[in-house]
Amino acid sequence: MAMKKFINDPANLTAELLEGLVQAYPSKVALDGEKLVVRAKPKEDSKVAIVTLGGAGHEPALQGFVGEGMLDISVVGDIFAAPGPPPVLEALRQMNRDAGVLFVVLNHAGDVMSANMALEMAEAEGLNVRKVLTHEDIAPGMHAPAEDKRGLVGCIPLYKVAGAAAEAGMSLDEVCRVAEKYNDNMATLAVALKTATHPQTGEEIFTLEDDEMEIGMGQHGEAGTGRSKMLSADETAERMLEQLLLAVKAARGDKLYVMINGAGATTLMELLIIFRRVRQILADRGIEVACSHVGEYLTVQEMAGFQMHVAKVDEELIELMNAPCDTPFLTVR
Amino acid sequence: MATAIGYEQIVRMIRGGLEAIRAHHEELSRLDSALGDGDHGSAMLRAVEAAGKAIQQAAAGNTPKLLQQIAWGLMAAAGGAPGPLFGSFFLGMSEAADEGEMDAPAVAAMFEAGLAKLRKQTKAQPGEKTMVDALVPAVEALRGPPDVAAAMARAAEAAAQGAESTRDMQAKHGKARHMGERTLGHIDPGSMSVTYLFQGFAEGVARGS
Repeated sequence: MAMKKFINDPANLTAELLEGLVQAYPSKVALDGEKLVVRAKPKEDSKVAIVTLGGAGHEPALQGFVGEGMLDISVVGDIFAAPGPPPVLEALRQMNRDAGVLFVVLNHAGDVMSANMALEMAEAEGLNVRKVLTHEDIAPGMHAPAEDKRGLVGCIPLYKVAGAAAEAGMSLDEVCRVAEKYNDNMATLAVALKTATHPQTGEEIFTLEDDEMEIGMGQHGEAGTGRSKMLSADETAERMLEQLLLAVKAARGDKLYVMINGAGATTLMELLIIFRRVRQILADRGIEVACSHVGEYLTVQEMAGFQMHVAKVDEELIELMNAPCDTPFLTVR
Repeated sequence: MATAIGYEQIVRMIRGGLEAIRAHHEELSRLDSALGDGDHGSAMLRAVEAAGKAIQQAAAGNTPKLLQQIAWGLMAAAGGAPGPLFGSFFLGMSEAADEGEMDAPAVAAMFEAGLAKLRKQTKAQPGEKTMVDALVPAVEALRGPPDVAAAMARAAEAAAQGAESTRDMQAKHGKARHMGERTLGHIDPGSMSVTYLFQGFAEGVARGS
């Protein structure tokens, strides 16, 4: 089937979507050059800055979370492709300060290469930057080496807690500690029902039969590990949550943050039905949902499916999760 | 015969490589849709456009500076994995290039430096279905012939064989790594980009001699 999308020249997708983003939320974000989405009101220099990078096509991620209490700069690549090292280095230079910069990188080959090259140059220039790599996808197996695990939607709650820590005036060491604590206690699993078309090539990014679903599908349509016949919402939630709870070693009395993130074409109705079952199972096991988000945070065009994300949280993380933030696509008051 | 090449011939060589990738970018995206998200060709097209622009803007006569500007230009334009990989390749070449004429061993040494820099960015080893499977044999093939054009033709041939060999490999890197056995039977698009690049280099050098 031919691609059906409201687009213009495919070469201008990223530029046009960023223009739309900053014009829609002018009090929160602004565009610096072609690839840097920055805060409309910059954070004080005395506080740790937070920078991230990633491809476009996953809206509202990642640049939709730039703003007070979360990111300072999101360096945007092209559709599904990391930005190259030069704009990343530029962002690190702009944010460099005595308080330091936390640089959050999602584990995808291109992102990691670009980030490492930029970081190498930043260190040569003496910039005060520390990197945190997210890699919470448990599809390759929860005991798989970290480098095999992709960074999925868990980056967004991580921006939230690290951003709140930075906003509270914590030192770079402390902001890193908070980010790593969240990083070490989170896990995500994705499920896909229907493919998406790459908006530049018009090609489907993978194929699934009409009656199939695939657990473990990545956010660029990278194939997952478990194809099966369609299951109901409850069965799907049970199967995924089981693996996630094992991964974060959640036990009776623990508190969890839970996010059900729609991939783009799965309705909020379905996401809420899934969340309801997750909440039921956790209640049965004596595990408390301390905070939660249900909606679209990191999408893959019109892919149908969702990412289920959980993190074991303590009082500090809960407080940071509930601290105020004001970004285009996540606001806490 | 071209026992040594200077700035003008290097520009012709690189332009030849860029043209070859431009001519095949749709095929590169098609190869990628079997293994990745089908955008390798468009990423490579952005890279070659940026590299072409860098050549136009470069101060003529200085090969190391030219290669460095190409590296930065294509890294700024092309994201994903190809940007840093091809960027570091040209950056490594710029560090080893001579300002004057280079004979065949010097050209081989320049490419070896590019390969070494690229391999710092990735853990990919030969046999793991990546561009490395074409690039390693191509760069190795440059050693030997005293004629640069002949050496480059040998490199292009070695790259093509290397790319063909990826068909029987299982991907261990990039977005394809998660597909396991389903990657068998498909050529790695990055190795094909390397092949076209070297075929174009060979044509460009031959044109200049």
